[in-house]
Amino acid sequence: MAALPARARADYDYLIKLLLIGDSGVGKSCLLLRFSDGSFTTSFITTIGIDFKIRTIELDGKRIKLQIWDTAGQERFRTITTAYYRGAMGILLVYDVTDESSFNNIRNWIRNIEQHASDNVNKILVGNKADMDESKRAVPTSKGQALADEYGIKFFETSAKTNLNVEEVFFSIGRDIKQRLSDTDSKSEPSTIKINQDQGANAGQAAQKSSCCGS
Amino acid sequence: MLCCFKLTGILMTNTATATELDAFYPVRAECVADIPKTRFKIKPGKTLSARRWDAAFSKDGHLDIAKVLRRIHRGGVHPSIKGAVWEFLLGCYDPNSTFEERNGIRQQRREQYGVWKDECQKMVPMIGSGKFVTTAIITADGQPVEEKTSTNLQEIDTVGTSDDSLGGNNSTLDKKVIEWKLTLHQIGLDVVRTDRALVYYESEANQAKLWDILSVYAWIDGEVGYMQGMNDICSPIIILLENEADAFWCFDHAMRRLRENFRCSTGTIGVQSQLSTLSQVIKIVDPKLHQHLEELDGGEYLFAFRMLMVLFRREFSFVDSLYLWEMMWAMEYNPNLFLTYESGSDSKGGGGTGGNDKHLKQYGKFERKNVKMGPNDQQLPLPVFLVASVLEAKNKRILKEAKGLDDVVNILGDVTGNLDAKKACNEALKLHKKYLSKIKN
Repeated sequence: MAALPARARADYDYLIKLLLIGDSGVGKSCLLLRFSDGSFTTSFITTIGIDFKIRTIELDGKRIKLQIWDTAGQERFRTITTAYYRGAMGILLVYDVTDESSFNNIRNWIRNIEQHASDNVNKILVGNKADMDESKRAVPTSKGQALADEYGIKFFETSAKTNLNVEEVFFSIGRDIKQRLSDTDSKSEPSTIKINQDQGANAGQAAQKSSCCGS
Repeated sequence: MLCCFKLTGILMTNTATATELDAFYPVRAECVADIPKTRFKIKPGKTLSARRWDAAFSKDGHLDIAKVLRRIHRGGVHPSIKGAVWEFLLGCYDPNSTFEERNGIRQQRREQYGVWKDECQKMVPMIGSGKFVTTAIITADGQPVEEKTSTNLQEIDTVGTSDDSLGGNNSTLDKKVIEWKLTLHQIGLDVVRTDRALVYYESEANQAKLWDILSVYAWIDGEVGYMQGMNDICSPIIILLENEADAFWCFDHAMRRLRENFRCSTGTIGVQSQLSTLSQVIKIVDPKLHQHLEELDGGEYLFAFRMLMVLFRREFSFVDSLYLWEMMWAMEYNPNLFLTYESGSDSKGGGGTGGNDKHLKQYGKFERKNVKMGPNDQQLPLPVFLVASVLEAKNKRILKEAKGLDDVVNILGDVTGNLDAKKACNEALKLHKKYLSKIKN
């Protein structure tokens, strides 16, 4: 059971599992739909429990299959959604720039990650609905940036509606995770035992699992 | 010549029924491509029509429910009478009552709804105003938030400022009020995302009606309150029953079947108990599939969460989910439903009349089996078998292709718009039978 890199399936070099979290109505599903299907719909729909979409991107000549899980925002669903934190290699924390409480809640969401996700999971902060009129904006860009800096994570303001920065967010976190995985690969090759004892190997194990199944 | 004439007649009926359905539940032109295709067709001679429905009542109003159930099993309910039929299927009324008795109950219930709505309106004046909120009106500790309505930018006047929410004595009532107020913007957020493809919900007044009903329900059922998904259950009922109080009560009765799914306690969501029943069923009827799912870490069947929670609304078009629901409710029908609800007891029982054939025909096809088994055996819900039948239909692909839970979700996603409600229900019945015979051995 060596911690092999996730390169076994024919249609991709890396499989990266991402998770979208944040308050209800901030636009998680719309961001995902924009990224996976290139579309924006006005017939919005609530996410019940959990859903997912796939898109394969190319980074530095490698095919990266992004498996992106979308979650219901209402607090009551957390017992279900936190079950998916474990397998996630990257988490997108989404708030709505026109809704201050969704921004204030980001701290709670981060606490959730600390409780349920693996320690080395990559995070990125996303302020969505940035296309909205300035009069409706409740969270200035500087505040979002400051929070991201505090946690040492990257930050983007996006609009699923106008397709502002949507590609950038997913590519950015995808790139960071790929980097981390390839670092882990090269470090882990001499000693597999070490990796299995290492707390931080969870994400590597998730990748390993799918490669096993694919072969 | 005659043959030719007949054929034209059939063709004409088909076109007529298609347009008829569109007229009942019109879809916004720009959304037609986004929604699943409808398969339900009004079939003359099979679908319960308004004429047949009227004919099923005696002069003073007793309803021949056996006749009605037989018809629904064959072809669903015509859109023009769905609301009235659903009231019976859900146990709002006793088929064995008169017009007069039912009118009395209806009147009483309308008044009761009015009282509850007034109560809510006193706490939050926006209830019943034709507007609603989509942002929080109070903070978690009960302090009012100065906010704007979603739909127009008028200030809310007295939201959250009434004494009962601000009193520092933290009584149970205060806590209940705060908890309720905290759910109102969640309801609003979901109202603007409910069946948006339908022309019906373009109207702000109709959206507000959905908000009002869900808000009042959350107030009177504090244990459940509001959970996402309840909007999906409530939405069709509002369209079918024009009177708001009647729609509320019909929704309330639908919730009596479904509320356990929406009830949350620390660490669990109610629907998980149905998921574990599903797991138990698959383990018995298809151990190979169950084992495969367990190997994929899907033994909890979380991928079926949504199907059970909103009763397949996302897998069917709007019209088809109505068809599916009335078919299921007809199959699960128990003539003692009304009395059970009114007396507040839990057991539906067989009514002591034994299993004679005439009596059994007043039960739905599925419930009949439960009655025959007697009250001691474990009674399992039909929706679980429905999900099981969908899994069974995809069994080969799941076993062969699914190498992760994402594949399972993907394979199951293919059923969207491709399921026939009647067939699915019949498959569920077969599976139920198979399950029962296997556990006997």
